[in-house]
This record gives sequence, C-alpha cells and structure tokens, in this order.
Amino acid sequence: MVTNYKAEKASYYKVLLGLLVLTAITFVQPSMFLTHYTFGMQMLIGTVKAWIILMYYMHLKGEVLIGWTVIFAVFLVAFFFAIVMIDVNYFQFADVSHITSPAQ
Amino acid sequence: MAHDSHDSHEYVPEIAVDRDGNQHEVQGWQGDTYGGKLGFWLFMLTEVMMFGSMFMVLSYYFHLHPQDFLDASAGLNRVLGGTNTVVLLVSALTMGLGLLKMRNGDVKGAKLMIWATILLALVFLGVKAVEWTAEYHHGIFLGLDALQSGNEHSLPFGQILFFGMYFSMTGLHGVHIIIGIGLMLWLLKRINSGKVTPEHNILHFNIALYWDLVHLIWVFVFPYFYMIGAGDIAGGVIHGH
Amino acid sequence: MSKSYFDETHCAFGHPKSTFMQWMLTIDHKRIGIMYAVVMFTFFFVAVAAALTMRFELFAPGQQFIEAQTFNQAFTLHGVIMVFLFIIPGIPAVFGNIVMPLMIGAKDVSFPRLNWFTFWLYILGCIIALSSLFNFSIADGSVVFNFADTGWTFYAPYSLNTDTNVVTTLVAAFILGMASILTGLNFLVTIHRLRAPGMDFFKMPLFVWGIYATAWIQLLATPVVGITLVLALLEKYFGIGIFDPSKGGDPVLFQHLFWIYSHPAVYLMILPAFGIMSEIIPAFSRREIFGYRTIALSSASIAGVGYLVWGHHLFTSGMSDMAKTIFSFLTFFVAIPTGIKFYDWIATMYKGKIVLDTPMLWALGTIITFAIGGLSGVTIAMIGSDIHLQDTYYTIAHFHYAMLGGVVFLFFAGIHYWFPLVFGKMYSEVQAKLAFVILFIGFNFLWFPMFIAGYLGMPRRYFDYLPEFQIYHQFSFWGAIIFVVGLVYMFYVLIQGIRNGKPTTPNPWNATTLEWHLPTTPPPLENHTKVPYVDFRPYEYHHGQPVVKFDENMKRID
Repeated sequence: MVTNYKAEKASYYKVLLGLLVLTAITFVQPSMFLTHYTFGMQMLIGTVKAWIILMYYMHLKGEVLIGWTVIFAVFLVAFFFAIVMIDVNYFQFADVSHITSPAQ
Repeated sequence: MAHDSHDSHEYVPEIAVDRDGNQHEVQGWQGDTYGGKLGFWLFMLTEVMMFGSMFMVLSYYFHLHPQDFLDASAGLNRVLGGTNTVVLLVSALTMGLGLLKMRNGDVKGAKLMIWATILLALVFLGVKAVEWTAEYHHGIFLGLDALQSGNEHSLPFGQILFFGMYFSMTGLHGVHIIIGIGLMLWLLKRINSGKVTPEHNILHFNIALYWDLVHLIWVFVFPYFYMIGAGDIAGGVIHGH
Repeated sequence: MSKSYFDETHCAFGHPKSTFMQWMLTIDHKRIGIMYAVVMFTFFFVAVAAALTMRFELFAPGQQFIEAQTFNQAFTLHGVIMVFLFIIPGIPAVFGNIVMPLMIGAKDVSFPRLNWFTFWLYILGCIIALSSLFNFSIADGSVVFNFADTGWTFYAPYSLNTDTNVVTTLVAAFILGMASILTGLNFLVTIHRLRAPGMDFFKMPLFVWGIYATAWIQLLATPVVGITLVLALLEKYFGIGIFDPSKGGDPVLFQHLFWIYSHPAVYLMILPAFGIMSEIIPAFSRREIFGYRTIALSSASIAGVGYLVWGHHLFTSGMSDMAKTIFSFLTFFVAIPTGIKFYDWIATMYKGKIVLDTPMLWALGTIITFAIGGLSGVTIAMIGSDIHLQDTYYTIAHFHYAMLGGVVFLFFAGIHYWFPLVFGKMYSEVQAKLAFVILFIGFNFLWFPMFIAGYLGMPRRYFDYLPEFQIYHQFSFWGAIIFVVGLVYMFYVLIQGIRNGKPTTPNPWNATTLEWHLPTTPPPLENHTKVPYVDFRPYEYHHGQPVVKFDENMKRID
C-alpha cells in the first residue's frame, strides 16, 4: 500500500512535469516553429494536454463504460462542429450579408 | 427510517437466488461507489457539451473573421493568462495529491492539500480580476463603446465577437472556479464531520474530478483566446503597461 | 392489510409526522412520479385553456375577443407550458420514475435524494416560467400582460429586442433543462447499476430501453440549449454581440444551437411513448413481442440519428444549400427505425389474442394518428416541399399529430395501463373507452383540417386570416370543443376511479414484466419482497398465458 502511494505520487509529479513542458511549448511555438499553423499547433498541444489529464489525473485509464460515454459525448460535439462549420464554410450570402460587412 | 443512517457499513446487500440455487449479490443504491463515479462523469459530460457549444460559436465566428480574431487575440495579456495556466496546473496537482493522501489514510495531509487548492483558486481569481480591470481601463469591456456597433470607438465585427466570447467564456469558467471553491469548502466540512473518510471518499474523488475538468476547460480556453494571435507580435504585451 | 407506499415513506431529511410534509420530502420514486403527474397535468390544462382561447379568437377573420399582442402571448404560453413544463419532463418524469425501477427490480433510483431535489428544481422552474403571467397592468379597462411574446423558440434577434418579460422565461427554461438533465443522469446510472441480477440489457422491458435512450438525449442535448439560453441572456443584458446582427452576430447560429437540443427533444418525448406502446401491445395481444432486439436497437438508433437532424428546422432560415442537403438526407433516416417499430408492433398482434381494453384502444388509436404525424413529417423533410409548407398550419398539424397524437395519446395509454398498479383500483372501463372515442374523434376534427389549410397557405402564429380559410378554422374549433370535453371526461373518469374504483389484483392485465409481480397493489414502500433473479425474456407468453410466475418470495414457480 505504501509503495503504491509512493508510485502514484511519483506519477502525479511526472504528469505535472509533462504538462509544464507542454505549457512551455505552448508559449514558444508561435514565435519558434510552424508559425503559419499556430492555431492548429495550439489546439494539438491542448489536445495532448487534455489527453494526459483525462488519462492520469482523472483516472480514465481502464474505465471501459465511462470511457465510452466520454467518447460518445466528444463524438457528438465533433459532429455538431463539423456540420456547423460546413454550413459557415458554404455561407452563400457573404456578398450581401450585413453580418460580414456592416450596413453602410 | 433506514436511509437516514449514513454509515453505509450497516447496509447489507440483498441476495437473489436463481433456479439452480446459486446466490447473486444485488446492487443497491446505497453505498454504490461506482454508481457515484459514473453519475458524476455523466454530469461532467454535460459540461463538455456546454463548453463544446461555446467553442463551436467561437469557431463559427473565427471562420467568418479570421484576421479580426488574430488581431484581438494579440492584444490579450499573455503573461497574466500564462500565470493563470501554471497556477491552475499546480492546483490540479495539489487536488490530486490530496485525494491520494485521503485514500491512504492521511486525512490531515488531505485537508492541507485541499486548502492549498483553494488558495491557488483564489490566486487564479485574483489574477483574473487584475486582467479584467486592466482591460476595462483600456476601454475593452462588455458594455463599453469599443464593443458596441456604430460609434467612433467601435472595433471591427470580428473583434467585438472575439471579446464578447472572451468575456463570456472566461467569465463562465471563473464561475466554475468559484463553484469549485464552494465545493471544496463543503468537502472540508464533510471531512471534519467524519462523513468523508479514507474508506468512503467518493465525494472527495468526484470533487477532484470536477477540479480536473475545470482545468481541462482552461487547457482549451487559454490557447484559443491568448495564443492564436501570438505570432503577430512575438511575446508581446500590448496593454497593461 | 399490508402497508403500501401511500402509508409510509422515506424522506430526504428528518422524520416529519404530517402527511403533507411526508409528501413534500419524500424520496420514494413512486410518490415523486405521482407528484410530477399532478403538477404536469395541472399545467397541461392551463396550456389547453390558452390554446382554446386562440381557437375562439380564430373562429372568424378579424379581431374577436383578444388583442393581437395577447394572441402572441397566448401561443407563447401554450408552447412554453406544453413543451418545457409538460411534455419534456413528460413520460420519463412520471412513468420513468414510477415504473422503471419496478421493471428492473430495483428498490429506488440510484440517487433518490437527487431525484427529490430534481423535482423541486422542476417546481422552481415552473414558478419562474409563470411568474411573469402575474406581472400585468390594467390600461383603458383591458388587461395588458407582460408575458413573453416570442413563441417558445425565443428566436433571436426578436427575443433580444422585445419589451415583454422574456428573461424569466429564458431562466425558467434553463432551470427546467437542468431538472431534465438530472432526471436523465439519475435514470442512466439506475439502469446501468440497479438491474436485478441476471437481467442484461436484452432482458430489459422495452419501456426501459425507451427511457435509457431518452436519458442520453436529456443528458447530452439539454446542455446545448442551456448554454444557448445563457448566451441569449448575456446578449440581452451585456451585449456580447453573438446573436446581434448589428455587431456581426448571426441569428441563424442561434437557430442552430436552439435546434441542436430542441430537435432531439422531440425524440426525447416520443421514445418513452414508444416504450409504453411496446409494453401494451404484447400484454393485450397475449403474445411475445415480435422483433424484441430490433425495437430495442431502433430506440437507440432513433436517439443517435435524432442528434444529427436538427437543421431541417432551418431550411428557410438562410442556411447554406450544402447543409440543407445533408440535413434533408439525414432526416429521412429517422423514418427507418420508426417504421421498423411499427411493423414489429403490427406483427406482434398478428395471430395474437387481442383484448380491446382501454390501454389497447389508446395504443391502436395512436398507431393511426402517429402514422399520419410521422409520414407527414417525411413530406416536410424534403427541402422543396418544406419551402412551401414551413411555418404553415401543415407543419402545425404534423407536429400535433406526432406529439399529441403520438406522445400524449401514449401517455394516456400508459395512465390507463398502470393505473391499477399505482392506485390498486380500477376505473370504469366502459366510461374510459367512451372518453377515448370522444377524444379520438375530436382530435381528428381539430387537426386534420389544418393539413389542408396549411397546404393552401395558412401561416401559423397569425392572429388574422383570409376569409377562404374560415371553414377550416371552424372545423378545428368544433373539433377543439369535442376534444376538450373528452379531456375533461377522461380525467373525471380517472378521478372517479381513484375515489370509488373497485380494488384490483396485482396483475389485472395478465402482463409479464416485473412491475406486475409485486406482492400487493398498491406496491409496498420498497417494491418487490425480494429481488428476483432474471433469466427470462420480458414478454414470454404460452397459449395466451404469462409463462413466468413467482411465489410471494419472488421465487420462480413455473
């Protein structure tokens, strides 16, 4: 039990270290590398961080039922995103719309 | 009335017997730790849907006004935002360690860790207050001219929408931080009155989960608002000086 | 005489002596379900009154009794009550609470105190929703109400500009949404955790499947509308700009967010109703249900596909053609699992020993009315015809055939079916059947003319109309009168049943599912005497008799 505690504590610190490193990368990325893809890179780093938090801090690792419910929810959000983004991507009225350019 | 005895040690599960005489333990709603965990995860999924929808709104307008969004983002104070990111990161650690201590019987250490988390949460709110105050003095706040349409200070549409969502989302996140502080104080009360113990720590477990979720939301809120426009002015801090 | 749940209860806290406080603080799922039913049907009649007011007004062209503004508030009141206070909590809050735990052999739901809290959250929402009704003033001898006039959809930007009291309605909808989420959460955990030993998912009664699918919609769709209403409030009071076209906000985005919830919400309403149908059809055909797995999985797939079709409400709102095409395509898919269910029910009745008791009459009536409602839905899922029919009485008729003729009719079916279980007494079958006939005739007189009026171009939510539509409105009016008479009569019969009904046995319908194997009726506080081991399918009949039998200690004796 005690060794388990120590091991878990150590893993918490390791995860903290990983997250701090990723946060540091978040900061330097826009001026250091792949600067034309800042948005994508930032979201990618965010996803990696989220993954680590979910798996280790939130103990999702090994949870089958709960894992699937999370996947289902994330899939739904992703689907809503996809459709709404398709809609805005094919926005047909940009030339005449007042929400893209103010009424004169 | 049986259910008023909180000590779930007394609860003896019923046994169901099948036709071959085999015994099967019946899961009751009393003392169902896994059920409590499942229920709280389901609750957190509703938070995911809520913030997911707000990110959808944000992305919708980012797509319509990409340059405005980058310009507005470049104007946010990355030093304060980054400080808060680290504060929240460390608070997630203290919360996790607190739970670890609780599970291993170190109630005193657990309480100390919860207090540390509360302290860090207050620091987060303090930094947030400083940041919003600076933005207010800079003329950018809900209700000020810059975020209204049709006057001389009006920002472009994309920037109005960016800041509208910025104040809404960081504001709602802040509300979650405040609720989190309330929950932690309640947890301390329950620990002190012996309702949460190393054996029955589901409340502690769930509040730790909640705090991780608050952290998780910030993991996306932070880059989406503060970092996407950071490339324009490398490491720059526009206002607050 | 053994004690029933009417005689004793567990409370959220304390040990109150008075019966009244015991009801207020009860955590017993059966009592909470009954309280939901009482509150919901009270509001149901308020909304019926609002609708009847509109029918009176529309009896002839021009102004009759009320102002145009009052008319707008009347349809908003009707919509808000019927949707948020009545039909969304609807069957899950009443029968999900009363029957679902009994069906899976549980003592209560997973979080009984949360259930109690949810009920009072719902009451709080109701109070806030209707509070602005009492905020009226009297000017020039006529009453001026301050109730919202936006329609129940709160479309931006009008809802952000109107002077009426839309804020309380928005807050109320948010709180009622939270109550709905917590109900769904409670049921999901209950179904996952508290099924009797041996009962796997494919041994659950189909009503439980309906509740399960519904609970997922309650849980994951409701937060979207919750945050939409919060954003609308922030927009209204802080001007964040996202739904305000003068700041670049897009009102169509509000419609997206609103319908991401509100469309799945109609499946949230109908799925437990289909569950009731799946209980009644085998019980009154004395035959095992045909295609158990297909019905169960079609509930799940209706819930799944139902998340993905919200955009068919936006065909005329300025959405891109690409998105319209996708949504029209996806919408057709919903008809497939729904059709599967209908064929399964009809196949169940084939060669069965059909008993035409009142619940079965309601179920059979619903097969007709919902078929009309469902198929007319397919016609407006097509973009071309929808451009013509959107926002006309055709859509209104479709919606009411599906919701009133589907959900509410099956709700009534469920009330007649589980009435002896809940009260231990029986209503007068003859009178209940008569009430059904009146309601069924009134219903069709009320709504069918609207299909024609809408097809010819009568727009919905209009205070006035052209003279050529008068004949349809008058047909509807008389239909409405018959319908309301039937409603009052039906509730009279039920209340007479509660007061003077003959006592019944625990299983008056020869049904098979676990809720009919209780030791006494009404059931005792903690349900079954012992939790049974479930190694049988839910609807096993042999020569018209239930196969599975239990003794008083829930031991199999067949």
